[in-house]
Amino acid sequence: MPHRFLISLLAVLGLPSLLAQTPLRIAAAADLEPVLPPILEQFHEATGIDAEATCQASAVLTTQIQNGAPFDLFLSADLSYPKRLIDAGLADTAGSSDSSTPITYAKGTLVLWTRKDSQLSPSLDLLRDPHLKRLAIANPERAPYGRAAVAALANLKIYDELKTRIVTAENIAQTAQFVDSGNADAGLISLTSALTPRLSASGAYFVIPRDLYPPIEQGAVIVSNTSQRAAVHKLLDFLLSPPVQAQLAKSGLTPVK
Amino acid sequence: MDWQALALTLRLATITTAILLVLSIPLSALLVLGRSRWLAVLEALATLPLVLPPTVLGFFLLVLLGPRTAIGRGVTALLGHPLAFSFSGLVVGSVIYSLPFAVQPLVAGFAAVEPALVDAARLLGANPFRIVFTLFVPLARRSLLAAAVLSFLHTVGEFGVVLMLGGDIPGATRTLSILLYNQVENFDYASANRTASILLTLSVVALAAIYSGNRKRRGSHA
Repeated sequence: MPHRFLISLLAVLGLPSLLAQTPLRIAAAADLEPVLPPILEQFHEATGIDAEATCQASAVLTTQIQNGAPFDLFLSADLSYPKRLIDAGLADTAGSSDSSTPITYAKGTLVLWTRKDSQLSPSLDLLRDPHLKRLAIANPERAPYGRAAVAALANLKIYDELKTRIVTAENIAQTAQFVDSGNADAGLISLTSALTPRLSASGAYFVIPRDLYPPIEQGAVIVSNTSQRAAVHKLLDFLLSPPVQAQLAKSGLTPVK
Repeated sequence: MDWQALALTLRLATITTAILLVLSIPLSALLVLGRSRWLAVLEALATLPLVLPPTVLGFFLLVLLGPRTAIGRGVTALLGHPLAFSFSGLVVGSVIYSLPFAVQPLVAGFAAVEPALVDAARLLGANPFRIVFTLFVPLARRSLLAAAVLSFLHTVGEFGVVLMLGGDIPGATRTLSILLYNQVENFDYASANRTASILLTLSVVALAAIYSGNRKRRGSHA
């Protein structure tokens, strides 16, 4: 009896992990949170390879990878963080045309977002409106969308004037929370957030003209320590394939292909 | 070193500690002296801030104090500005966040006062106010010190609530812990080390001074 119990225990705990391959671990930028999980599911259906995403601010993920976090692939919200990992010898893009440059897999879009029940509607004029008391942006020192937000405001020559009315959030999700909770009148967030069911139900957005900020190019790198290089390449190819790129477009990212 | 952030943090911790002591002394006395069974619920509520992750507590406060709730609208009308993203908002958040750190030592200290003394005081006709200020406060002054020190330090180290409720505004809501986090996140480890060393040195010096004073007094009693 105890024998049989032990065997079934082993079967439950041990066997599946022996049979199934370890899932690919993806470190993904916060703006991919609403986008990536369905794509990974399709990837699983197409190839049988399991992949799990951890969505966090790109800066946090970079620090974690620098300190040995067991990720296989890093999908950043910009190019500077993956470049930093390549320069440190911790990541690469071996197999692509230039193995020292991150692979751009999509471009981000910056939008101005307000709640539907607020008196203000999103437009460029709103940024000059004195009724705009609090404008939320993501931290410009590390969040790519925060950097884009400051660049856009500077290009409109209203950054200095708005400065005292700006509140800074940790990442793009928190920026949206500041506005969605009604504490900030408007926020500069990612189109991927604005298109989520939750935020598209409660608010409206205005796409900031692309010539106002440098493109938010999102770069991918392979974490050099990975033991599943072949699977990582399959996922990268899948991500860059036309159907998936078209799907990214629907979720608020601009395809690169 | 960002002295503005340091000054802001010390001001926040001082005001929070003062408010907490004013609130916690009567609250803890009520919890110790009171007979109602509802006090168990009250004590549980006063301990709750320990359970919630601070960022979640901050998020709840952000929503509660925002213009979408009646409480938030009332506070805004009263103050003329919303509490979120302001120094007063951080004070409210810190008081709630550090409440258990003031109440727990006080309840323990007050409960340790010899019950016979409390009964004697009652028989002699002392009202609860007099019991608190002539018995509890002088006899439990080490608990009072512990409550003050813990509330102060807990507020200095407060991060999640400030992160959610503050909006990182220099001079208003950018506290030392937020500054430190920014420096670490921006890979500016040299500044982060400097800020952390100053914070830790100041804390050790201040704590050692307080505790050595306390030890001396204990020595004279023995």
